[in-house]
Amino acid sequence: MAGGTARRRRAERWLGWYVAGLLFFLALPILVVIPAAFGPDVTLTFPPRGLSLKWFKNVVDHPEFLRAFGVSLAVAVVATLVALVVGTLAAFGLVRHRFPGRQAMELLFVAPLIFPAIVYGVAMLMVLNPLRLTRTTVGLVLAHVVITLPYVLRTVSATLHGVNRQLEESAQILGANRWRTFWHVTFPLIRPGLIAGATFSLIISFDEFTVSLFLTGPGLMTLPLEIYNYTEYTIDPTIAAISTLLIVLSVLVILAIERFLGFEKHFQL
Amino acid sequence: MTGGRPAVSSPHSSLFPLGGTGQGEGGVRRGVATLTPTLSLEGRGRRKRRRLGVLGLLAPAAALLGALFLYPLANMAGLSVRTKFPGAWSYTAEHYAKFAADPYFLRVTQTTFLLAIGVTVLTIVVGYPVAYYFVRSRSRYKHLIFLAVISPLLVSIVVRTIGWTIILGNEGLVNALLRALGVIREPLPLMNNVWAVMVGLVHVLLPFMILSIASVLGKIDPALEESAAILGANAARTFWRVTLPLSIQGIAAGSILVFCLTIGAYITPWWLGRGKVLLFSTTIYDQILVIIDWPFGSAAAMILVAATLAILLLYFALIRRVGRR
Repeated sequence: MAGGTARRRRAERWLGWYVAGLLFFLALPILVVIPAAFGPDVTLTFPPRGLSLKWFKNVVDHPEFLRAFGVSLAVAVVATLVALVVGTLAAFGLVRHRFPGRQAMELLFVAPLIFPAIVYGVAMLMVLNPLRLTRTTVGLVLAHVVITLPYVLRTVSATLHGVNRQLEESAQILGANRWRTFWHVTFPLIRPGLIAGATFSLIISFDEFTVSLFLTGPGLMTLPLEIYNYTEYTIDPTIAAISTLLIVLSVLVILAIERFLGFEKHFQL
Repeated sequence: MTGGRPAVSSPHSSLFPLGGTGQGEGGVRRGVATLTPTLSLEGRGRRKRRRLGVLGLLAPAAALLGALFLYPLANMAGLSVRTKFPGAWSYTAEHYAKFAADPYFLRVTQTTFLLAIGVTVLTIVVGYPVAYYFVRSRSRYKHLIFLAVISPLLVSIVVRTIGWTIILGNEGLVNALLRALGVIREPLPLMNNVWAVMVGLVHVLLPFMILSIASVLGKIDPALEESAAILGANAARTFWRVTLPLSIQGIAAGSILVFCLTIGAYITPWWLGRGKVLLFSTTIYDQILVIIDWPFGSAAAMILVAATLAILLLYFALIRRVGRR
């Protein structure tokens, strides 16, 4: 038995090293961006051959980046709010009730998650174009609600499954009506799921590229598309500088969530 | 284990985990519900109100997806059989025929699906040990490991692709390292090929695979593995006969996500392939926005959806066979 344990421990150590290596692979592309943003050269160079802040200044000198950031943020927030309301209602319907056609409903609601984004973009363009809704915030929001809904639905459903219904029933037996039960019992219990779903939705929408590609154009650009446009002419550390700013933003969001929630408990894909 | 072995027969249930973790648990919960006073007192009027309640809960989502997902797809399907758009038209299948007859499109289709299969297999092989480690680890830093695993999802798509440009580019990290070591004098062209695209996609899609596998692995009772070991199975056999079959559902769910997301990806192939890697998504983009042939572009999109669906169905059948083993 002793030999087995030793071998087992050795295997575990190897696994640990492997995982460390893989996590390094996952983090590497993010980590190299930051030094590259501070390099003085015109090309994306690693390691950088000096220190300069001019690329950050260049970001500030392009007002279109800030404008695109505003569009992305606005679309993400509105789409998330809509997805949150609609998705939470649907989660209640699917988790709490049994009815014919329930599985088909489920499938429909999460279908956008695995549907090829490029095809959905094309399909939306063809519907929104005759309505003159392409290159409008409204059109973008409509598409993003569909894209983010599955994420909200899945996170909220997962949390809802974990809610002990006896708590709600106790509240009702003690005389609380349905709304009071919801506000004072159910809502606090599913709040972590709602926050996790909203965060996921914000990230997905803010970062969405392929569908937005078909619905944006001159006059209305999201941030990823504005950066993509910029790189059609030049690839210089300006985009590394923007990336660095976005990484800082991500880190702040993660810290906030870690603090309020604890991350891994509520995030499920 | 009250739920018995996970319901391998329906790979949906873990990709779409709305129905609970398995039939067993749902059954238990329903059992509890019928015992409770509120529900057992339920009369006909109450039941009717409940049915209206479900309708109210599901109607907004159903309406939204009907109008903004199903209708656009139906509309696109309609466009794909029109002779031309806009303008006077009649029904035709010529776009589909044109696609099937053109070796260029067939090559693009082949590259796309081979790439998607390659990325899926790679994420399974590379990601499984990480999921296993994550689930079994009692490390203090478990939440940091989790953050590192999902980090590609938390940073912008732009950051990721630029990161790979910095690593793989002519002036990039790998070339600088190789040059410093004296291995090469001229930079190696690591970008603008299908391998760079594959690396970029594996990087961003690994979190989906790892989390899908981990969520199923986490539900396996460690006692099962211990029993196998006590009964004399060595580690490899235990893994092969117990752990892997029980986690096949997670692999299935992860594969579906990764496969479909690869098929639909546009920006990563575009950026890391820079016109050298022609995929289905880039072709559709060209047809719709550059050549502006909407009927043909629609037909191509429909073919992509149909092909993806066919492969998924095949895969479901395969998983079911493996699960029954």
